[in-house]
Amino acid sequence: MEEFHPHNDEMIFNADEAHNIVKECIENVLGKADYNHNKVNQWTAAIVEQSLTHLVKLGKTYKYIVTCAVMQRSGAGLHTASSCFWDTTTDGTCTVRWENRTMNCIVNVFAVAIIL
Amino acid sequence: CAGAPRGAGRGIEGWAKKGSLSQKPALLLELCAVSQHGDRSRVASLRLFLPKPGLCLAGPARRFPVAAVEEILRDVLGSALRERRYEPGPCLEAAKDIAEVIKARVKALAVPRYKIVVVAHIGQLGGQSLQISSRCLWDPKSDTFSSCVFKNTSLFAVANVYGVYFE
Repeated sequence: MEEFHPHNDEMIFNADEAHNIVKECIENVLGKADYNHNKVNQWTAAIVEQSLTHLVKLGKTYKYIVTCAVMQRSGAGLHTASSCFWDTTTDGTCTVRWENRTMNCIVNVFAVAIIL
Repeated sequence: CAGAPRGAGRGIEGWAKKGSLSQKPALLLELCAVSQHGDRSRVASLRLFLPKPGLCLAGPARRFPVAAVEEILRDVLGSALRERRYEPGPCLEAAKDIAEVIKARVKALAVPRYKIVVVAHIGQLGGQSLQISSRCLWDPKSDTFSSCVFKNTSLFAVANVYGVYFE
């Protein structure tokens, strides 16, 4: 069981920080890879888990939802939309879009504050 | 479009400080994964210690209604997309509208102290491969999600609604 003592007094979601974290995780996992149907399952799992690990290390009292979509580039279209009912002063979201020659990746991070 | 296989969530363990403070009141957040068969499993956990020792967390009086929300998702996706063909411009607006409508209908269920996150994907059926996964660090006793997939001859849509209890 991991244990943690929250120390952060500011409850504002830093989207830029989350953006950088997620972008680095995507680069680490997908990097120079080509789309592979057999591996995409472990790729998406690795991206979301590494993103969550690093977000938790920021030490803020947030619940996190991380969603990742990886799609093969074939000319077909994909649209993603989100809508949230929450406290806009403390909660926040960040979306990272990434692509290479053979695939597109969209990662959404939603952070919901815990008021202790 | 589903989560990763069971047991894949080992990455989050092992980073935090450990102590012998198990007597203090704590909020337990757990990392939940969803397998490809829709089973929910705990793959890791994180305990946050409360700064105020007397604070009590009673939990929700009424839990997030997963089945009712799934019904809303089926209804909204079906009525919005049943006869539709994929077109980039209209589907872009449709994705936004669908997310807003789902949020409004879930809000109308008036489940107390729940924050709602709705994510909607609409894509063209073009023979391409696609994987959508999500992971949540939350309290599985109170937080949960609903999901629905819709498909016709020209497009597919995936809608997820996450209900997060406001501690």
